[in-house]
Amino acid sequence: MPYAPEHDELPNPLRVGLRADSVPEPCALVVFGASGDLAHRKLIPALYNLALTAHLPAALGVVGVSKSEYTHEQYQEDMREAVGQFSRTKPVDEDVWRDFAGGLRYVPGAFDDDSTFQRLAGTLEELDRARATRGNRLFYFATPPSTFPVLLRQLQKHRMIRPPGEARFTRVVIEKPFGRDLASARALNRMVLEVMDERQIFRIDHYLGKETVQNLLVFRFGNTIFEPIWNRNYIDHVQITAAEELGIESRGRYYEEAGILRDMIQNHVLQLVSLTAMEAPAAFDADAVRDEKVKVLRTISPLEGPEAVAQRVVLGQYTAGQIAGNDVPGYREEKDVAKGSRTPTFAAIKLNVDSWRWDGVPFYLRSGKRLPKRLTEIAIQFRKLPHALFGEGAAAPNTLIVRVQPEEGIALRFSAKVPGERYRPRTVSMDFRYGTAFAAASPEAYERLLLDALRGDQTLFTRKDEVEAAWKLVDGILQTIEAPDAPPPFPYEAGSWGPRESDELLGRDGRAWRRP
Amino acid sequence: MSLSIGEPISGGQAARGWDEMSTRFDGGIDLGKIRALLQQAKDRGGSPGETISAFNLVAIYFSPAAYERAQAALEAAGRLHPSRLLVLIAEPHAEGESVAARVSVVRSGGAVSLERIVLTAQGGGVRHLESALLGLLVPDLPVVVVWGGRPEGALLRRAVDMADRVIIDSGTRPPQALADVGAMLARGAPIGDLAWARIFPWMSLAAEVLDVPNLREHRGKLKSARVICAGGIGSEGVLLAGWFASRVKKARVELVTGREPEMDSAMPGAGDGTSITGLPSATPLGKGQIAVFEFTAPPASFTLRREKSVLVAEVRGDDDGEILHRLRLPPETPGRLLGLELKLLAGQDELYAAAVQAAVKLLPQSGS
Repeated sequence: MPYAPEHDELPNPLRVGLRADSVPEPCALVVFGASGDLAHRKLIPALYNLALTAHLPAALGVVGVSKSEYTHEQYQEDMREAVGQFSRTKPVDEDVWRDFAGGLRYVPGAFDDDSTFQRLAGTLEELDRARATRGNRLFYFATPPSTFPVLLRQLQKHRMIRPPGEARFTRVVIEKPFGRDLASARALNRMVLEVMDERQIFRIDHYLGKETVQNLLVFRFGNTIFEPIWNRNYIDHVQITAAEELGIESRGRYYEEAGILRDMIQNHVLQLVSLTAMEAPAAFDADAVRDEKVKVLRTISPLEGPEAVAQRVVLGQYTAGQIAGNDVPGYREEKDVAKGSRTPTFAAIKLNVDSWRWDGVPFYLRSGKRLPKRLTEIAIQFRKLPHALFGEGAAAPNTLIVRVQPEEGIALRFSAKVPGERYRPRTVSMDFRYGTAFAAASPEAYERLLLDALRGDQTLFTRKDEVEAAWKLVDGILQTIEAPDAPPPFPYEAGSWGPRESDELLGRDGRAWRRP
Repeated sequence: MSLSIGEPISGGQAARGWDEMSTRFDGGIDLGKIRALLQQAKDRGGSPGETISAFNLVAIYFSPAAYERAQAALEAAGRLHPSRLLVLIAEPHAEGESVAARVSVVRSGGAVSLERIVLTAQGGGVRHLESALLGLLVPDLPVVVVWGGRPEGALLRRAVDMADRVIIDSGTRPPQALADVGAMLARGAPIGDLAWARIFPWMSLAAEVLDVPNLREHRGKLKSARVICAGGIGSEGVLLAGWFASRVKKARVELVTGREPEMDSAMPGAGDGTSITGLPSATPLGKGQIAVFEFTAPPASFTLRREKSVLVAEVRGDDDGEILHRLRLPPETPGRLLGLELKLLAGQDELYAAAVQAAVKLLPQSGS
């Protein structure tokens, strides 16, 4: 949905029926935080790959802004190196890079310094002339949340934000975390909406750019056979796991502030819950899809107060252990982490979605650092057989597993007869793997999301009410666990699947975690 | 009937990465043997794994050379879209009455994602191809035929009747051949065309400029269009003109021969009639290909022209002054065009059908 006509204009006679993807309008993309990790590893390599596959308009300019002192040429060289290192396609096509780099500029300076924005304005005008970017602007905040207010104020002060509906567009992409609790998210939303319209705001959660996450919508609403059984009549429970082998690397300072609830649960994991539990949207457009997603978040029973949290939430913190045969330190031994830190690095949560479809079907969520392997999956556990025709326990309940990463795909586990005389069932797996079925390499999540932002398609971006509904859920837990008298997180050994209390969370319901 | 079965070609070495098995029939075809070969080819990978197929891709050629030229594109498209690839090479004028079968599979992540069966029939053996094809299709899956011959004749008509989609390349033929295509389309034939896929960037850019907010006002004022082809009129140019004429019914549309391209290249359609499937002609500019596309919405005029690998649109006469819009042409990879056409697995592309019908009406003036 790259372009929506105004109600009073003639339809484009040349657009009707075209199968070719629409290339975005000319635009200057401004990356704040241009010398940072995200720009090096993700944003510039993603833009290069979009240029390589002819998805970008030739009339594109990119301006990096950050404190580091670079000239245009030095920044181009630095980014060329980053693309060589981090691009998913190699080797780098020098012709494409040269053309792309021809529109790459750099403005050094502090965000609270007016002169930075004066020089930025000059550079953008120069790009409008040199690259025909025509005054269209996409501002990308690849910076810590604390900088968002100052960036918004400066953009407004320097008249870089145009209202929606003008011939020249202005959009802003805001990286997660969007706030650190419900109050700050609301305050940030208020501030953003004071200077621009919701249609101009693209709150990014890169999980939504992943092919498998988008495929969940196609899988559910593009087939007739799954939707009739996608409810409490057939499904016993749902397990969502987002596990990482890595610890916090060099991000101790950030992680001490964030913890697993802000880093993973509030955004990525709740997005997966929404997509799994949502009703079919009336249409496949940004608002219809997001309307249904936000309804799910609003129907989840709140987790508020020590008793509810104790019953339905287990938090953990990793201690020293082994990952893939290597010794790794405990969380409290990591750099920039307090010795007595109570920051959770693991969470297991039981959610109840109070809706007609999901009544009585718990959603168990689990996410953590330093778990045995990197993996994100949604497992739909179907009900037990009503009658054990082949003997009690002979046939295991069916499971449908949506693997988000790695080895993106879908597997269905079902019973089949073991060859021989007797009726002995065994569970087998029917496995669909994206990499096998579609040999084309999937684009990086940032490629898809940057392209959508350039096109103005908000379907895969989080709306104001959605982000606040997600925070509201997590806020209840945060208020409880961050109270001075709250118990510390349970320790778990690095390389394990979390604290034993996490198993008990399901064990109390007569269930167990899958071993992915 | 002589039969050699299970002997891999190249002395047991995989050919070009394919684990290929071959056999030959000198009177009739034993489909059971071909299926057995296919199974053997699958078993050679150790664990049999699963086979994933989205459709049957049937490619029909009239010389081994034509298939050789198309092979990279077919394989690339076949890998992108898991399928059973059935290649039929008919050499009716060759001596003998034999049919040679080559069978191979491609694996991806342990599963078989492409099964390839190549049947080459000589002389009287050609008559077995059609029944063999019907016996080797994967049931229930769509059938897409890639037709490498002239867009005419009984065999093509039967392919059109049987297939969910037939993909031709009118760019390898004189533009007058579009009249035959138009006749089949008028009867509802589900024809796709690689020449059509080649002009997607032109159509896309033309549409883009009318999506630009300050240029939308010109949408209702489109009056004329002109397609200039380099050194002679090619099918792509005729299709582009036809597309515009079908979209803007009252517009005056003309086809013009411009100056020769700087780099020598074959005139499309004037060769031996073999397909150049998968070798998109975007760069360099070849004889007969589109050099400039102009259309007017007075007082504004829009000029789209190719500058190496970039399409450039210039707008003059608009009250906002001159406007420049650029679109990079897609990279030239084997199978890209076929992949674009395979996005539609059944039925007729109505936009294409309308463009061809309009293009046919423009053909008498195409000799200028």
